[in-house]
Amino acid sequence: MKEDKILQASAAEEGTALVGAEAENATRKQERTDSLYVEPKYWKLQMKRVKKYRKVLWFILPAAMFTLIFSYIPMLGLLFSFKGADFNLIHGTVLSNLFSGEWTFRNYLDIFVDNSFYAAVGNTLLINVIKLLICFPLSIIIAVQLADLKNQTLSKTILIIICLPNFLSWAIVIGIWSGILDSQGGALNELFVRLGFIDADYFLMGKNEWFKFFVIFLSAWKGAGWGSIMFYAAIMAIDKSFYESATLEGANKLQKTWYLTIPAIMSTIALMLVLNISGMMAAGFEQIYTMMQLNADFETTQITLDTYLYTISVVNRTNIPFATALGVFNGLIALILMLVGNAITTKTLHRSLW
Amino acid sequence: MRLIKKNPNKIKSSTLDVVLSVLNVVLLVIFTIVIIFPLMNFFSLAFSNSAFNSQLILFPKGWTMWAFEYILAGDEASYFWRSFLNSVIITVVITVVSNLVEAMAAYPLSKSDCPFRGGIMIYFIITMLFSAGIIPIYLLMYQFNLLNKIWSIILISISNVSNLLFFKTFFEGLPSDIEEAARLDGASEIQMFFFIVIPMSLPVLGSCCFFSIVGAWNSYGSAMLFITASAKEAHPLAYYIYLLIDRLRIIKNDPQVVAGVNNIQAAAMLLSIIPILCIYPYVIKYIKNGLTLGSVKG
Repeated sequence: MKEDKILQASAAEEGTALVGAEAENATRKQERTDSLYVEPKYWKLQMKRVKKYRKVLWFILPAAMFTLIFSYIPMLGLLFSFKGADFNLIHGTVLSNLFSGEWTFRNYLDIFVDNSFYAAVGNTLLINVIKLLICFPLSIIIAVQLADLKNQTLSKTILIIICLPNFLSWAIVIGIWSGILDSQGGALNELFVRLGFIDADYFLMGKNEWFKFFVIFLSAWKGAGWGSIMFYAAIMAIDKSFYESATLEGANKLQKTWYLTIPAIMSTIALMLVLNISGMMAAGFEQIYTMMQLNADFETTQITLDTYLYTISVVNRTNIPFATALGVFNGLIALILMLVGNAITTKTLHRSLW
Repeated sequence: MRLIKKNPNKIKSSTLDVVLSVLNVVLLVIFTIVIIFPLMNFFSLAFSNSAFNSQLILFPKGWTMWAFEYILAGDEASYFWRSFLNSVIITVVITVVSNLVEAMAAYPLSKSDCPFRGGIMIYFIITMLFSAGIIPIYLLMYQFNLLNKIWSIILISISNVSNLLFFKTFFEGLPSDIEEAARLDGASEIQMFFFIVIPMSLPVLGSCCFFSIVGAWNSYGSAMLFITASAKEAHPLAYYIYLLIDRLRIIKNDPQVVAGVNNIQAAAMLLSIIPILCIYPYVIKYIKNGLTLGSVKG
């Protein structure tokens, strides 16, 4: 294969040296002979390999079938985003509805004149950026602090405790916090009232002005401990002799952290950062939707992209093609973010995201 | 003895370092308290008499099992048990089928000379990158008549490409000599997979299963999508808890229930995290393994 490439490259070079049609002819001829030579060999090779692995190749089939039915067929569902607003499922099957009625591109244009869409994108980005600025450094700080502890039992105990919330469902995390902040007898609520922070009968989690705060606070409470595991493992893998020599040179702890630990785990930080940014369009559907339920006078201006999508497609279900178009649009943005993130990590860290 | 009592090489740590160490421990302890206080408060809520709710800090007051009795044997007990059973079925089926299917697919793909390897990998990876949103999946389930059935939750969760990649990377690292030896001994490819490759990859299989269990047990997003609040016979437990957080605030007939709403919620939540707490020691092992791994490297 390498030789082929070199051959092609030299042919191309020759091509640039020659002029006009003659050069084009020469390269085309070269390509044609190459393809004629390579193609049968490729198929022959693959067939030989199929023969070699014929007994295990069917192992791929079940996974491929599930992927086909539950990932690829729904992808074809993006066709619904090109239907008119009168689409419904009252009569007939999904397929018969798909092929009746007219086709239109209007739904995609409607996205850009939808005010709720802009509000949803704004809220999603705001929540994710603040999470990135607070929760992400918090995980790194916890990891650095844990690694600094001399007492292994203590660090392990703390690790076990702070990882626990990550393994509880969002309904439980929100239930726990709404319980202790409950306006009727929540322990923390009682304390705040006594300290004069809030009035009696004031449910903090049910207030619009506190909504974003609790979204970010609860995701830090749930995820920061577990998020630090990655960094903690990276710090533990650093050669201890670096620290010893730094100590001999008279570096203090802050200097050791800043000039040794952080640069050493920089690739982990970069990878996690890119992963976080790739998921920028999703703000945690289960969490935010559950918190919305607790909030009796929830303002729709607080909605995020995935909760908006859920509301228009499952709760209201008034305009299915528009909801599909919004879903597809969201998927495309997520795809672009993932591809850009992957390009960055492969370029700088020589590591693919998948 | 006297000579090695004081290590001459040891540098006296500066005051700043001492201050930082103390500050470090203090901050970590504060963070741990922030984590543990709500958990303890909620545990104690489940075991307390509702009259003492506002006085609870870390431990139960007016010990009673009333809230548990209400959940497990009260008016709505059958709903709880049904949800619990649904969650068990969903979790077991997803964990077993998903991991088996993905590990099987990863085995041939882990061979460097697997035919059409690149193409097949792209086929799987595309599904990780792009999805057309929730409506097409909803319509698919509608067409298959799977709405309001637990099978919709199970089927949508089986395909798990990140686990496939995980298995593939692990299988690639397995020594090929063992497989060669088994092949010489006349093992068929299927025997090789089930009796050699799988036993060798138990650690990775274990951690994948663990995350499958946690994910399947805790998630209720797909239940919110496919199952309506009125189709009670198909609710997984996490969805039950989600509805409970809100629902009990509205239904207020029995005065005892009204007073003990928070206790009932806490009891139900505590019951629902028991399975997670049962497998949580695995995480501890995982963390410990991570530590030893780190120390070997370091």
